[in-house]
Amino acid sequence: MRPRALPAPAKVRWAMLVTLLLAWELVPRTGLIPELLLPALSSTLKVLYQDSHIYWAALLVTLYEVALAMLIACGGGIITGAVVGGIARLRDLLLPVFSSLYAVPMVILYPVFTAWFGIGSESKIAFAGIYAFFPVMLSTAAGIRTIDPQFILAARSMGATLTQQVTRVIIPASLPAVFAGLRLGGALAIIGVVVSEMLTAAAGIGYLVTLNRTILDSARVFAALLMILVLSVAYYMLARAIERRVVVWQSVGRAPKAAQAEGGPGVPVAAAA
Amino acid sequence: MANLSQTMTVPGQQDTPPEKAAIEVANLSHIYAGAQGAVPALEDISMSVGSGRFVVIVGPSGCGKTSLLMMLAGLRAQSQGTILCHGRPISNPDPQRVGVIFQEASLYPWLTALDNIEFPLSLRGAPRDERRRRAQAMLILVGLEGFGERYPHELSGGMKQRVSIARGLVQDPPVLLMDEPFAALDEQTRMTMGHELLRIWSKTSKTVVFITHSLTEAVFLADEVLVMSARPGRIIDRIAVTLTRPRTYEMMATDAFGQLRERIWHQIRKAD
Repeated sequence: MRPRALPAPAKVRWAMLVTLLLAWELVPRTGLIPELLLPALSSTLKVLYQDSHIYWAALLVTLYEVALAMLIACGGGIITGAVVGGIARLRDLLLPVFSSLYAVPMVILYPVFTAWFGIGSESKIAFAGIYAFFPVMLSTAAGIRTIDPQFILAARSMGATLTQQVTRVIIPASLPAVFAGLRLGGALAIIGVVVSEMLTAAAGIGYLVTLNRTILDSARVFAALLMILVLSVAYYMLARAIERRVVVWQSVGRAPKAAQAEGGPGVPVAAAA
Repeated sequence: MANLSQTMTVPGQQDTPPEKAAIEVANLSHIYAGAQGAVPALEDISMSVGSGRFVVIVGPSGCGKTSLLMMLAGLRAQSQGTILCHGRPISNPDPQRVGVIFQEASLYPWLTALDNIEFPLSLRGAPRDERRRRAQAMLILVGLEGFGERYPHELSGGMKQRVSIARGLVQDPPVLLMDEPFAALDEQTRMTMGHELLRIWSKTSKTVVFITHSLTEAVFLADEVLVMSARPGRIIDRIAVTLTRPRTYEMMATDAFGQLRERIWHQIRKAD
């Protein structure tokens, strides 16, 4: 009995996705679950197609809000994180405050934001921007704080000015943590926008979810959910792809252990000399 | 104190008159402001390292060896005393005069081997072709030709330290300070790297100050071994290593080698 090789994880993932989609189509059709609770995939896609102009318009509103929220969260988060993480005094003073604020369910602020900014896009942008700000900021601060001091010492020994220490060592060394924060922050910005649209809004995909739920139009609710799902997954994959390109040394870090095999004590060239 | 001139024959090195010192340290002391008040770390250190010499500093852990080296590199200020490098005081890092090679390879993981070696040149805005040319030459010198495009995580420990040495040499400073550069390597790699370092040194005629915990490594590499006491660190003995050069692995088995090693061990035990 030879143990069979396990199928590749990518294949398994695709198989799971296909199974899920098939079940989504078949389970409501067989009547196991009424279509009111779970409309079949085909019905969902049909309304998505029929009402495509509505969904496109909603998607554009949501995307616009998400983009601006990300801009606030990432820009503000990176700058604040860099300052707080880089200056020891500020770090000791502020980091515990920020960390504990992170645990507060930000959604309680949303009613306040609608009072301040109205029920238009501004309140969504403000809410999602702040919601996503914390992970970016904390991650950046942690990234800067955990830079190997040896890196900076080496740079100084090589004659790096203070500006060069920042641009040539501190920034590249903190990139992996910053990117991890951006990935999470972007995802939270999407969540923040969609949730706030669901609560109080007049436009956007989240609004379509709430609107259609109140009139029990399940297919249209699921069409909106599907769009949010696709949007989130697309964002995540984009973020990963960019991260891989920029933070080369991290993404390849695990794979090649080739050096260990042939490195060893002496490289032949050297031994000859 | 130690008179070595008659036994030293270093290939590729000119015999330098003893008065031409590369590094002169006079009455250097250092006191830290610790949590429980002032901690004397280094006490009245005076030493002179002749140009082109290979000097190894050994001593118990925490005796201030690394602090001393950081001061020689201009990376840390001493409380008292003077450090002269080729007659001029050291107070700030000066990569044209002094190159430093650190314990862990401290290579930048986001740069390839070649870019790491070029790093100090690019800091002072050297033109691209010159940087490439010099870095490539260093890569060949340390025996890593063909590995220039690898990232540090794709290199073994020994190879990383070779890159680190190349980076320290690329600006061609007359003095090289090495802080336990091979400490993280396994024993076998460590001996090979020591041998390699001597080969590189014999080709570049640098003055080297080298810190280590390994007595075998100390005797194998050094013209002279300085033994430091436990904190506050003082130099309690200077031992001339009169083995001929080039050094070979076979020498480690000789009585002369063993006796030198024994003497250093004896001093360290006394010091601790």
